[in-house]
Amino acid sequence: MSLNIFICGVGGQGLVLLTTVIGNACAKSGAKVVTGEMYGLSQRSGAVSVHLRIGEDAFSPLIPYGEADILLSLEAIETLRYLEYLKKDGVVLMNKRVMHPPIETSKIITEKGSKYVTLEDIVAKLRGWTQNIAVVDALKLAKESGNVRTENTVFLGCLSALEAFKVDEKAIRESISEAVPKKTVDQNLKAFDLGKESAHGSLCTLVPCRPLP
Amino acid sequence: MVLKDVLSKEKKAAFMLGNEAIVRGALEADVKVAAFYPGAPTSEVLDTFSDALGNFDYQMEITTNEKVALEVCAGAAFAGVRSLTAMKSVGTNVASDTLFVLGYTGVKGGLVIVMADDPHAHSSQSEQDGRFFAPNAYIPMLEPSSPQEAKDMVKKAFEISEKHRVPVIIRTVTRVNHQSGIVQLGELNRSEFKKVKWKELNEEYTTLGSVARRKKLKMLERTAKLAEEFDESEFNLTKQADSDVGVITSSVSYLHVLEALRMLKLQNKVNILKLGTTYPLPKNTIKTFIKNLKKVIVVEELSPYLEKELCAIAKDVNPDLAVFGKNSGVFSEAWEYNPNIVARGIASAMGVEYAGHEAIVEEAGKFKEVIPDRYPTFCAGCPHRGTFVALNQALKIQVAKGQEHYFSNDIGCYSMWIFPPISRGDSSLCMGASVGVANGLSHVIEERVVAVVGDSTFFHAAIPALINAVHNGNKFTMLILDNSVTAMTGQQFNPSTEFIAGGRQGKKISIENICKAIGVEFVEIVDSYDVKGNVEVFRKALDYDGLAVVVSRRECALYGDRNKRRRGEKIVPFYVDKEMCKRPYVCLRTFYCPAYELDEDRQPRISPELCDGCSVCARLCPIKSVKRTEVKA
Repeated sequence: MSLNIFICGVGGQGLVLLTTVIGNACAKSGAKVVTGEMYGLSQRSGAVSVHLRIGEDAFSPLIPYGEADILLSLEAIETLRYLEYLKKDGVVLMNKRVMHPPIETSKIITEKGSKYVTLEDIVAKLRGWTQNIAVVDALKLAKESGNVRTENTVFLGCLSALEAFKVDEKAIRESISEAVPKKTVDQNLKAFDLGKESAHGSLCTLVPCRPLP
Repeated sequence: MVLKDVLSKEKKAAFMLGNEAIVRGALEADVKVAAFYPGAPTSEVLDTFSDALGNFDYQMEITTNEKVALEVCAGAAFAGVRSLTAMKSVGTNVASDTLFVLGYTGVKGGLVIVMADDPHAHSSQSEQDGRFFAPNAYIPMLEPSSPQEAKDMVKKAFEISEKHRVPVIIRTVTRVNHQSGIVQLGELNRSEFKKVKWKELNEEYTTLGSVARRKKLKMLERTAKLAEEFDESEFNLTKQADSDVGVITSSVSYLHVLEALRMLKLQNKVNILKLGTTYPLPKNTIKTFIKNLKKVIVVEELSPYLEKELCAIAKDVNPDLAVFGKNSGVFSEAWEYNPNIVARGIASAMGVEYAGHEAIVEEAGKFKEVIPDRYPTFCAGCPHRGTFVALNQALKIQVAKGQEHYFSNDIGCYSMWIFPPISRGDSSLCMGASVGVANGLSHVIEERVVAVVGDSTFFHAAIPALINAVHNGNKFTMLILDNSVTAMTGQQFNPSTEFIAGGRQGKKISIENICKAIGVEFVEIVDSYDVKGNVEVFRKALDYDGLAVVVSRRECALYGDRNKRRRGEKIVPFYVDKEMCKRPYVCLRTFYCPAYELDEDRQPRISPELCDGCSVCARLCPIKSVKRTEVKA
């Protein structure tokens, strides 16, 4: 069986680096992996997405609708944008952070009565699809690690707690050290640990996790 | 990207992007010259070659356009040296003048052309199907479906190119270039770079009139030989099953087919012919495959390229064969495919059950109603935003005075002016065309034409149109947005940068000097961040009775940030002083910066993680409530 992870977020959040780290770790541990990455026009602040598929029976770089085991979202609004890819009752691993696009803000100041979509609105909608939702305050944990740009690594930590995510943790740590800028290796490894810990506080009450050492 | 794997001497398994695998394949084939103009989805081929340059002794250029890139490679290949270029679909149009002639002249050293189509127009102005270049120019073509195949085919393409003395096209699609997977690395044996003696080669590469007629016959002979050889190619894969149904496919569609058969529980129950050599087609392989079949399903994105050829072949060997593809309506010529679309097509052709995916997509759609769209937009700190605000204000003043406008846009980050909330643009075609059409429009419309190009686009294809305007006395306003790099494809160097491939020192070309030298009399240079000052300059350029050029200059924010980080400089964000802000929303109404949002009091708030510290919003705030964060010493 393959493990399908749909990753989404906003241009500039480091989705591609996250994908590279997981992919390299798979290569190190002999796992088959294929991805489809979409970041054409998005420099910063546009919608970015990656289909990540680990396992022997994943062929296409694109996950079929309704077959993603995990929807990993580095920004809250984006979680809903790709909902059709997630299995019913699949796992949502999402950031608490909401980044309002300029078009939404401009609508609010020009249209009376309109207001921002909130994290609660989004989670309420997601509950119509699955109950396995973990909201992670990745920005806070990233700041705790000493580098605000490590939100992506926080999520990698969360992912690594899952029993279904069978990629060797040692390979992941090595892969992080190779892929991120040298000066930020320690911060990223800390962000990884913080993410893993946080998963054991929330995500792991919903879905099977690996035991903490 | 981890460059280490591209450089690795070890023959190991590595996780690679399709574009990186292409570079690795070329390096394993001992490529000596590489030249590119960047274009999604191939830009990482250029970037990887540029990053690896310090480790090898190949020659590399980031050229002014794709035609020049192909010619750089052709020059090397004429002298027997291996070369590679990569370009996006529409870039091939620019290079095609040279491409067609190379079919006639041939080459000595291996010349490989990676041509990436973009089904779905993810980052292109059209969904053109570049496969037709191959038969039209009599140039062989290989199509990989995965990064591993991309690497293997690039290597093999050099051999084919040298054996048959012809360039070889590697045709990819976005989902191959931007697909990552496990790639088995091969031997990396690099030979020393040496110049050759042209006279000793005894070669010639001319073609005209009678010479062309003679070479045409040779070209036909060559193609016939290639067709025979491709019947034996390891890149054409037949998977047999106990069934009278077959699927013929190529490129990424092959992977979608495998996935679709899994979804339909038809694995190993349908014959598959996966074509890797798609010009010339391996006709005998196709004949053998279809001979005893009742149904064939052709799965290919965009045009029915394979399907038409298949129908022609079937007429001779199996006239009763039922062909399911675009002509039968099972598949569309529009947009890219995915496993679900392919599963639906196969199921309908075979008459088997497929629940369909419309229901799940529709159901998910209902949950999405609460979320806003997220269009591509200018980055925080982008100089184009400042230019747009000033231009917009200047245009408004001119409209009040009775002057109307036509806005002629071009290809670059500023193309995003067509997206909401800005939504401005009367036309936007292809590289340099904004200036070309401005010439024609200036003859026939009453409004003042405003043409916009970026620095890279200016050098790529706008200069001939500008010279034309000066020579013919055409009157319009041209804005050149000079942000120092080719920003949209990943901030590659161009003639407006002081650097060249590999970060080496190059010579920067002055845009204003070119304009003045060709005779433009109105040339002004402004700082894109000086919005207030620029309104007046733009107004003058709009009023000018002639051709007026304004160069709006400020380096790309992402490029600038990277330079700042390298120099150890901090990016200092701005903030809104809550006490002072009276909420006139000038910032939000005119500026559309992604770092801005409203706080719970409906007051503008700047996200410190996103703010680039460009200061433009602070300069625009009428009550000066936007301030720079104080930095502790």
